[in-house]
Amino acid sequence: MPIVSVRNLTREYLQGTHTVHALRGVDLDIEPGEFTVLMGPSGSGKTTLLNMIGALDEPTGGTVTIDGKELGTMSSGARSDLRLERLGFVFQSYNLIPVLSAFENAEFVLMLRGMGKAERTQRVMETLHAVGLEGMENRRPNQLSGGQQQRVAVARAIAGKPALVLADEPTANLDSTTSGELIELMKALNEDHGVTFLFATHDPNVMAAAKRVVRLVDGRIDEDLHR
Amino acid sequence: MKLFLLALRNLFRNTRRTLLTLAAIGFGLSMMIFVVNLQNGSYQAMIDTAVSSMAGHVVVQADGYQDEKEPTMLVQDASVVVATMASEYPDAVVAPRIFTGGLLMSAHSSVGVALTGLDAVAELQVQDLHEKVVDGEWLASDEREIVIGVDMAKTLDIELGDKLVYMGQNGSDEVQSRLFRVRGLFRTGSAQFDGRLAFAHLGAVQEIMGGGDVANMVTLHLDDADDAFEAAPRLEALLARPELDVRHWKDALPELFAIIQVDRGSGDVMLAIIGLIVAFGVLNTMMMAVLERTREFGVMLSLGMKPRQIAWLVLLEGLVLGLLGATVGLLLGLALSWPIVTYGLDYSSMMGSETMESGGILMDTLVFGAWDPVRMALYFAGAVIFCICAAIYPAWSISKLRPVVALRHH
Repeated sequence: MPIVSVRNLTREYLQGTHTVHALRGVDLDIEPGEFTVLMGPSGSGKTTLLNMIGALDEPTGGTVTIDGKELGTMSSGARSDLRLERLGFVFQSYNLIPVLSAFENAEFVLMLRGMGKAERTQRVMETLHAVGLEGMENRRPNQLSGGQQQRVAVARAIAGKPALVLADEPTANLDSTTSGELIELMKALNEDHGVTFLFATHDPNVMAAAKRVVRLVDGRIDEDLHR
Repeated sequence: MKLFLLALRNLFRNTRRTLLTLAAIGFGLSMMIFVVNLQNGSYQAMIDTAVSSMAGHVVVQADGYQDEKEPTMLVQDASVVVATMASEYPDAVVAPRIFTGGLLMSAHSSVGVALTGLDAVAELQVQDLHEKVVDGEWLASDEREIVIGVDMAKTLDIELGDKLVYMGQNGSDEVQSRLFRVRGLFRTGSAQFDGRLAFAHLGAVQEIMGGGDVANMVTLHLDDADDAFEAAPRLEALLARPELDVRHWKDALPELFAIIQVDRGSGDVMLAIIGLIVAFGVLNTMMMAVLERTREFGVMLSLGMKPRQIAWLVLLEGLVLGLLGATVGLLLGLALSWPIVTYGLDYSSMMGSETMESGGILMDTLVFGAWDPVRMALYFAGAVIFCICAAIYPAWSISKLRPVVALRHH
């Protein structure tokens, strides 16, 4: 069963008096273990689609189904729970909580889930080790480089072992070396730990690493390439 | 607990802003605490002075005298009342008093007088009138002695030892006159007191009122004012004289408590305004602190935090800010109040004398503050609650945020 199933998804919004058709009927399935990239020019609807799948935004028409549950039928509380239990997010600008250390940022989601302290600590240490940040647990975001911050963000996204990690332009703020390392990391997490990734990106390095590339043009899927 | 820690760290993310807000809360609250302790002290002094000079902890008077204040409404067999009270409360002071109005005449002039007849020895332990005598002596034993104010002496153009004639009506509307000899002059600083009041022995004024064992009030002065509430009904039962009115000091001085209540009320309004101004400052801080973190709240929402939890976080920040600010305010307020509680606040240079009149009561110009723990606790709690209230609107507005909108916020 696919983790994500998108059917005939449309999203319109008003910009002044002008209606923007961000998505014009998208069908997409994401299976467990995928490492998929949504690509396309700016305004093609990548981020909009990612937000729909992440239960952050509501569609104008069509359905998004995650784990067999249709988001449109869920309350906002249930969608919060779904994000908490099943999804992980990585953002372009890291978006770590500045007053929390690397450890605490990665721990945040586990705490919201109500996980016990011992289990939390073990899980966070494992995750920080997996993203190569051992020894930096107590550093605050402003004491970390951009690449290190994004690794913390990845650790935060995967610490809860989500079914799917959604990453919106995760390498856009990084230099090519750092971004290459981050891609390697996520690829390794995908291959070794079976973490499912869905990216929205322009970065050719991410596309090169992808197992599947979905090309969006003007809110429609133009091309769906499996490798 | 983790959320509490997060709230604390969030507050000190902009240290300068938080310190300024804490200073505003602390300064506001410390002022309120200072004012309330000073107020409490002056009210205590007013009550103490009024109770000792105008009433007693328990007052026995003729039924109706409380409202009419008619000099002819007298307690008969006053010495029996005095004896009963003294034997029941041997450690207390019992002071009978009798009041009348009239004219005092010297060889040169005359002046209207409010004459009080009293037990000169008993009053020594109750009031400090004898300390106000600046020329001559307080009443001793001669029934003809009179002590008057310095302003009155000037009007009458007399000196110590001079003779004065009192003239006035007694209870039967007959004109009475009596000879006095000036034994002392007092100065209180109040023109009202120094120009109008005169004190003589109880027996002398009793004679003016037609003779007899009478007084307008017999007053009982206890060590502990709170004992009066039990003593009043007890004495009433013991005296068993329905024509007498026995009441404790709170009932005997209703005007005084009304004045205090009005004064306290207007003070409370001022303090509430200070509190409100500070609360708007806090609201502003909270609003800024929340708006500038809109994106961060968006991230928290996408990670699966519930809007309710985010609202809680903001309220918690208000609570922590309130607790810290109120603690600063309390400590500062205690530090500011301590000198006035310990050494008092001297108004004498401002008033130009050692005493001043307040609400018809002659008060010392050295006013001591008195700790008012109930109000201090109330204001402390009020400051914390104001801060939480100031966080309600920001918390509510942030909880309405949609994650996708919040994430786009820069």
